Amino acid sequence: MKTKITEMLGIQYPIILSGMSWISTPEMVAAVSNAGGLGILATGPLSLEDTRAAIRKIRALTDKPFGANATLMFPGADKNAKLLLEEKVPVINFSLGKGDWIVKEAHKYGGKVFATVVNLKHALKAQEFESDAVIATGQEAAAHGEEVTSMVLIPHLAENLKIPVIAAGGIADGRGLAAAIALGAEGVAMGTRLMTTKESPLHAQYKELAVKKDVYDTLFSKRFDGILCRVMKTDAAKKAIKNGLNLPAAFFNSRDIARQINQPYWKLFIGVLLSGMSSAIQLAYMANAFKAIRIATENGDTRTGVLPVGQVQGLVHDVPTVAELFARIDAEAKAVSGRLAEKV
Amino acid sequence: MFKTKITDMFGVKHPIICGAMMWLCKPELCAAISNAGGIGNLTAANYETEEDFRGAIRETRKLTDKPFMIGLTLLPSIRITAEHHKMYIKVCTEEKVAGMEISGTPLDKVVGMEGIESLKKAGVKLFHKVGAVRHAVHAESVGYDGVYAAGIEEGGHPLNDDVTTMVLTPRMVESVKIPVVTVGGIANGRTMAAALTLGAAGVMMASRFIATKECQVHDNIKQELVRKQEFNTTLYGQTLGLQGRALKSKIIEEVISIEARKGGFEEIIPLISGQRVKEAWEKGLVDFAPLMVGQSIGLIHNVVSCAELLETMSAEAAECLAAANKQVVKN
Repeated sequence: MKTKITEMLGIQYPIILSGMSWISTPEMVAAVSNAGGLGILATGPLSLEDTRAAIRKIRALTDKPFGANATLMFPGADKNAKLLLEEKVPVINFSLGKGDWIVKEAHKYGGKVFATVVNLKHALKAQEFESDAVIATGQEAAAHGEEVTSMVLIPHLAENLKIPVIAAGGIADGRGLAAAIALGAEGVAMGTRLMTTKESPLHAQYKELAVKKDVYDTLFSKRFDGILCRVMKTDAAKKAIKNGLNLPAAFFNSRDIARQINQPYWKLFIGVLLSGMSSAIQLAYMANAFKAIRIATENGDTRTGVLPVGQVQGLVHDVPTVAELFARIDAEAKAVSGRLAEKV
Repeated sequence: MFKTKITDMFGVKHPIICGAMMWLCKPELCAAISNAGGIGNLTAANYETEEDFRGAIRETRKLTDKPFMIGLTLLPSIRITAEHHKMYIKVCTEEKVAGMEISGTPLDKVVGMEGIESLKKAGVKLFHKVGAVRHAVHAESVGYDGVYAAGIEEGGHPLNDDVTTMVLTPRMVESVKIPVVTVGGIANGRTMAAALTLGAAGVMMASRFIATKECQVHDNIKQELVRKQEFNTTLYGQTLGLQGRALKSKIIEEVISIEARKGGFEEIIPLISGQRVKEAWEKGLVDFAPLMVGQSIGLIHNVVSCAELLETMSAEAAECLAAANKQVVKN
């Protein structure tokens, strides 16, 4: 396959591993990059030391290009992003914030920066400060999409942007990849499909669930982590959404986060308070969501754990290796596309 | 230009079908679409008597010798009763219409398997609009000729399973053998190319046809669709048990606020009545009634004739497929 994204990065397939906390680990990132895609490390749950170690580990496991994300809304994300720049990470994918300074610094060493967006307004802004591509998240995606679906969002962005659009949301196979390209995308980002592979560190119990569950078995609500978020429909997820924000739990869970990202708790706490009321509530939501996601991905806990997944889980029917998956997607995209060319 | 199961089934040039629209899908627009090589729609509920309904079919046939669909919603309503439903089906059988787009209750539950047999004997191709695989599987099992897979982005009444087109179309294609037509999010060649790539045999669209020269609607409405973006629609009506997607407007905000304070059916119904919609279309009043359009309005940029629309759309779809094929096949 040859698209602006494969050309830009010098990779075999225009397929990107979404940066998913506790799933897009160094091993997983390297597996995807070694198989010809682009792995993106999830830095959300990592301290500075962890991030540095993770990047070095990826470099030990692969000599192919890779990326790392920076979820700018999370506490400590700025520092992590600076470290990514210092380490000259080939691709930085920022979301939920303004990444103009990241673009500026990354371009100095030839790094590329992808902005995750959910609408044209943000996409145009990202283009204006010279991001190299946007990752467009449709409503059907895992976690944070908005109301507009991939079918409408991708062509709308493609017809209005000069920089390449990477489609995220609703893509799990060769048909989806070829359809995204027909819509004007230059590549796809896959989370749900890639989390259900042999190399993925997602707990086996959840891989099994993702295979079993259908396209209807997700919930999309603001009451899980404070912004619209799509998660797997389980009893735990229903309960979390029904209950909404649990402040005392947020207090305890935020202590865990401080430990995880290795920041003194008082510093995190004051930082959060200084960020303003709505932002503090947002972060309190996130603290609880973080915990629920972590125990789902790492422990396979279905009683209290919650896992972000996309509707596309209904098109995930097995647990292949990443290399098997990519070869299958490639063959299917070529077959579908070739058949259609005959129909015209 | 395209050869798919839909173009073969109906002997048409473009695998592009117009979806049912109350007050708008009448003989002129229907015939314009069919004459342009697509498949027009004549929506049954526009006609309350057998005479009027049969008259509309014959009028359309005077305007075109090409196939068109009859749109029929089998749901209880205040104006259109179960008796009407039976009458529509009887007339479709007698008139041997080319095809029917049915939504709501499946045909077998309304006219039994004998009714379906008679329709099939009359050569009527039957399609059901579905939002879930289980409904598609049922339609296939009782002898429908195809299904319309309707994603959550569609205007009108998408199923509250809320599945998007990008996911629903391939999921349907792998679940039934009858042709799948994609509905929801389709308005141009790119989206049509994507639907075909996902395995659809054709596309159905409605909002896009409102912004055509032949659509008998006030020009304000057409211009509003050109102006509005994909995020300017919203879902409402979940508390009524039948969710709808419509253009965000003052009236829809009012409906949503009534729903939020758990106001009832009686309070909402007068705001969304069919007569209000009729008046809104005719007078171009965008804030007066729910205008049931889909997210695809973000992809509508001009008001063109149906012939121009279908020609450019098919050509663009062919171009996108050729370009995508090049990108995918290259190593």
